[in-house]
Amino acid sequence: MIETIRIGHLLREATSSPYRNLVTRPTGVAVRNRIEDALSRSDCLTALLDFSDIELLDFSCADEIVAKLLLTQASQRRRFMVLRGLRDDQHEAIEQVLRHHRLAVVAMVHGDEPLLLGWVSPDAREAFACMPRTGPSAPSDLARALGWPEPRMRAALDALALLLLIRPEDGWYHPLLVA
Amino acid sequence: MTRVIEVPTHFDDRSFEQFAAGFGNWPPEEKVLVDARGAQWASPYGLIGMLTAGQAIAEAKGERPLLTVPTTDEVKRYWARIGFFRHAAELFELHGRVPKASASGPSDVLLDVTPVRAMEDVHQVVEKITETASKILHGELGLERNATMRFSMALSESCQNIVEHAGTGGWVAVQVYTFRRRLGRRVAVIAVSDGGVGFRRSLESTHAKRFGERWGDGAALEAALIQGVSRFRDPGRGQGLAGIKGFLDRWKGKISIRSGTARLSIVPAWDDDLPLADHLAFFPGAQVQITIPAQEADSR
Repeated sequence: MIETIRIGHLLREATSSPYRNLVTRPTGVAVRNRIEDALSRSDCLTALLDFSDIELLDFSCADEIVAKLLLTQASQRRRFMVLRGLRDDQHEAIEQVLRHHRLAVVAMVHGDEPLLLGWVSPDAREAFACMPRTGPSAPSDLARALGWPEPRMRAALDALALLLLIRPEDGWYHPLLVA
Repeated sequence: MTRVIEVPTHFDDRSFEQFAAGFGNWPPEEKVLVDARGAQWASPYGLIGMLTAGQAIAEAKGERPLLTVPTTDEVKRYWARIGFFRHAAELFELHGRVPKASASGPSDVLLDVTPVRAMEDVHQVVEKITETASKILHGELGLERNATMRFSMALSESCQNIVEHAGTGGWVAVQVYTFRRRLGRRVAVIAVSDGGVGFRRSLESTHAKRFGERWGDGAALEAALIQGVSRFRDPGRGQGLAGIKGFLDRWKGKISIRSGTARLSIVPAWDDDLPLADHLAFFPGAQVQITIPAQEADSR
């Protein structure tokens, strides 16, 4: 099950104003609290954070919302997190703060093309890029496609799974689906 | 006794040093007269620097300073339009006829002189700049189409530093003008200033030990701007300045931060400023200038 959370809606609730700009740490904290509140009442496997109503996302809010949410989720219930509706400048802010924390998240961009934002090892990034957009992958198939030994591919996929960037199931690895 | 501090004829981040040196010890023991009669031009950095001086004297319970307004009508009108006199009247005893500010500001003022005292002010500043900046940043300066967002992020992070670190309020102004002497091109300039505790005191309890005897205003600026440290233990802090540096690298822009007795700059190829100027005259708080030049035709 996927829970879609519209960040613009939460921003307007949190600030009681028509703002479309996610700026300042207190605003980021207020929005993150509302996201956590919504997730605490949900049984969803995947949370889809929709930024499409947001104009500006500064570094402080990228840190307070995305990075802190990933850190919190990692220590609580393990739930997949996907971002949608981001513009280039917003990618950059999130990319920077996640690299700083050595975290990563999947963002759906340009017609729901998955993009990794943040820090993963070069092998993990290459493995992610090689995965089909729909349906599961077997490590042996992906290893063959990249000309890698299978243990190397398995290690890369396990690293992605540990960061909740793909979903392992019965020896197969699934992309995070949001459709 | 009155200490007379002459406002430089051309008042920018460089000539600011002449202005700062005029105060002697802080807070000045004598009544201060800021003499702007001879001023012919002032950058946003210069204007909010004067307000910062007035604010810092007031907060130090000093005698209300005097300010004589420029004699040139054009200069007076401009200072009125950018909102300088409106705020200066609260901090200085103004001498000289001050023109009324016109209802609409000049088109090269992206953000008139605006106080920043709380996070709500940062929201207001960002709302205002995103409404007005796009045409100038993209159309006039040749920055990429969505540069307004990156520009606004830089502005937001700079203003938040006041609220989070200064321990008092501050000021921001944004203007576009032609940078004749050093560049010969149009530039957008963000100026942010506060009269607060400054970088050294803000970072002292958490970072001074690491620097040992080197610790001072210059080392504190280096820690914040180059190493990205913050006084907060939260590992996510200190990324605002890092993000601003990233944008400036792309735009061949410059950031310069003055605090206490030092000024640290990331200097692009078009400028000849010193990366670190130390042992300057003391001036309270922190003053930041971000300069973004019009992009050269071949990079557009």
